[in-house]
Amino acid sequence: MTGTSLKAYALTRLALVVPMVWILLTLVFLLMRVAPGNPISAALGGHAAPSVIEAITHRLGYDKPMYVQYGDYLWGVLHGDLGHTITDRRAVSSIIVQNGGATLELTVFASLIALGVGLLVGLLAGRYRDTWLDVGGRLFGIVAYATPVFFLGFLAQLVFGIWLGWLPTSGQDSPLTDAFLRIHTHILIIDAIWDGDPGALGDILKHLILPATTLGIVYAGIFIRLVRVNVIRSLKDDYVEAARARGIRERSVVYHYAFRNALVPVVTVVGLQLALLLGGAILTEETFNWPGIGSTLVTYLADRDYAGVQGIVIVFALVVVIASLVIDFVNAFVDPRIRY
Amino acid sequence: MGRRKWRWLLAGSAAAATAAAAVLATSAYGGHKASNILLDGTTETVTNIDPAGNYDYGTATVDYMIFNRLLAAGPGKNLAPHPELATKCYSVGGLKTWACNLRKGVKFSNGDAFTSADVKFSFDRTIKIADPSGISSLLTNLKSTTTSGPYKVVFHLKHAQSTWPQVLTTTAGSMIVDHKVYPADKILPSTSSQVGTGPYVLTRYTPGVSAVFTPNPHYWGPKPKNSGLVITYYKDSATMKLALQAGTLDMAFDAFAPTDLISLHKSSAVKVYVGAGSGIRYLVLDVGKQARKLGVPTGKLAVRQALAYLMPRQTIASRVYHGQVSPLYSMVAKGLPGHIDAFKTLYGAKPSLAKARAVLKKAHIKTPLKFTIWYTPSHYGAASADEYAEIQRALDKGGLFHITLQTAEWSQYVNTLGTTKGVFQLGWFPDYVDGEDYINPFYPKGQFLQNGYNDPKMNRLQIKEEGAKTAKARIAVLKQEQMLAARDVPIIPYWQNQMVAVARKNVKGITSTLDPTYIMRFWLLSKS
Repeated sequence: MTGTSLKAYALTRLALVVPMVWILLTLVFLLMRVAPGNPISAALGGHAAPSVIEAITHRLGYDKPMYVQYGDYLWGVLHGDLGHTITDRRAVSSIIVQNGGATLELTVFASLIALGVGLLVGLLAGRYRDTWLDVGGRLFGIVAYATPVFFLGFLAQLVFGIWLGWLPTSGQDSPLTDAFLRIHTHILIIDAIWDGDPGALGDILKHLILPATTLGIVYAGIFIRLVRVNVIRSLKDDYVEAARARGIRERSVVYHYAFRNALVPVVTVVGLQLALLLGGAILTEETFNWPGIGSTLVTYLADRDYAGVQGIVIVFALVVVIASLVIDFVNAFVDPRIRY
Repeated sequence: MGRRKWRWLLAGSAAAATAAAAVLATSAYGGHKASNILLDGTTETVTNIDPAGNYDYGTATVDYMIFNRLLAAGPGKNLAPHPELATKCYSVGGLKTWACNLRKGVKFSNGDAFTSADVKFSFDRTIKIADPSGISSLLTNLKSTTTSGPYKVVFHLKHAQSTWPQVLTTTAGSMIVDHKVYPADKILPSTSSQVGTGPYVLTRYTPGVSAVFTPNPHYWGPKPKNSGLVITYYKDSATMKLALQAGTLDMAFDAFAPTDLISLHKSSAVKVYVGAGSGIRYLVLDVGKQARKLGVPTGKLAVRQALAYLMPRQTIASRVYHGQVSPLYSMVAKGLPGHIDAFKTLYGAKPSLAKARAVLKKAHIKTPLKFTIWYTPSHYGAASADEYAEIQRALDKGGLFHITLQTAEWSQYVNTLGTTKGVFQLGWFPDYVDGEDYINPFYPKGQFLQNGYNDPKMNRLQIKEEGAKTAKARIAVLKQEQMLAARDVPIIPYWQNQMVAVARKNVKGITSTLDPTYIMRFWLLSKS
């Protein structure tokens, strides 16, 4: 402990964001260039003569020295210009807005499901330790966390989409909703509410249930174990014993004292799980044909589309960096012992 | 928490659940569901809808809805170029100059009149933009385009080309755009409003999600048989198959995995339609010095011929693709004018170990010959692994060869092709359905495979074919080229695909658009 103030800590932490992002930008740039293949040969290699490939590569400047390309790239980023993708000429900023909306919708609902299931099952498992509820909750948590998200997704598609026919198997909405819903924010739930269109809203929510539940349940496994352990520990703490000694009802002791305190580390983990959740969202999007930023990243990676990959990775990185920053600030604010 | 608080919480939860159930139960766009809007699914992707940057099948499918070409091929057996926006195209004083008379009274979807200025503009800009998609490479023989009045256009070629009308059936600049809307020197973004003379207007395009079409009110031809079209894009055929089975889609075509197609064949909810295809799969063999450099024995003709004797075409077609492809014995797809079973004539219909052994023995080549065969695991479908396992098994079987398989994902795989890989898998989908497009990109000098094959006789035949004055003379040359290609074996073709569409039973008219051009003409389809 150095005894620095919260203000100094916040400034130091903010200043560290710049080199972090720069290192990441550089790494992504280098990795894309070092990896074999390039976007021109990926697009043309199956049907164009080498001379055509060379001419186009030259015209787009991909034969320039790497430091020149790197300089151009950094210059663009510094000016807020993430460029256009090579394969389909989309502005990277529009990808972030359009596909980012779908990912945001998915991750927010998946987080709510993960937290809801995780807190409830974790609390019950901790409260009723060593009972069948505890064993069942722990088993569910382990199985949920260990199951690959695509496998769980495929099972859900088969059971609820095909066998029972209750829910759609893929997409963010049905083709007709997609054709007629007016887009305002690219977050379709908000757009449907904005337009006062209950039909579209119902359709969008139906499409959201399977992917969000699949992703949410996988991440609920983490919270179940965390909450259970913290509830068990809190129930043994002195302040809980003191509450019991004062004659407070057991239910109040558990929910008002032990559970609330058990939630403190969960808040930190929620933020840290964001990166994992984004990773999981990529697989979920692929499984459910969800038009999010993650599945778009996979497409551009396969095509070696430098601009597309770099732009999306920057966004992922910024989201994680900002989330960690917020968590650090909250923790530093709550706990004065945390300083550099 | 007090009892009253709990009651409020319970009441609130019940109200929320009821509201959610009511919203979920509401049918989205129920009015539209009963309508005649066709819902299609595809695993293809869209790159640039602007025709000057479109050189892939997924984008071409969209473009065929919005734009017209000067000449068309198909549907059905009418594969020879025939009028679309042109009423007639003809050579003027030799095959170096071609003129087209244009249809009068045609309007773009925005109401602008279509004239020869639009045609010249479309061809000029495709060449000027030279998009990375490579579409302009189809127009390398075009020196200039001139107009002669508002309804005549003249193409001046660099050298004689008898198949110029076939080029006009491709998407290469021959998809005519409105010169008042499209920039002359750059691609119009796909999310911008596209203006063409085709049967539909693209009313919304969300990249990677969907394309929405409504009938073009100014369309010059017969009105579409449906009231609109929504194409939904899928990442894989398994997810698309589920959507089809669940009734989210009316139809889907192309790119089904063999196992998905078998499952769909068994489904009572949908019908599988199969038509002639023109896509082929082949194995490239490095020849001459290049083969030696890469340490593969295919530099020797006898080795290539032994491989040709052992290619397990029937096994691949039946065991890997369950009859969804058919064995191919020439680079030119079966069903096209000029196709001959050259490999069957020279090497037989079925693998022959005895003949393979004999040809190697005669050339005093010691066996087993060890080398690596490359294939790419996903670009041509997941069945590629099984396909190459069969090829490996067939070649290793008699002890003449000892094959190692190696794979690389597409973006890495296609980089430098024959200069880094000695024996490798590729597939081909023609730019236009003519035998020429199965020969010229692969065998004559300058071919893109880079496998070291350069035969003076083949180069002479190419010039002769391009300059042939009659169809009969041209087809005769194509046959000679196929026989020469089979004798030299720089490539072993082994299967040809089919065009597959799967639709719910209320979709009508699919068989009318299944032909080797591979164009899904949605305007011919209706829903009952």
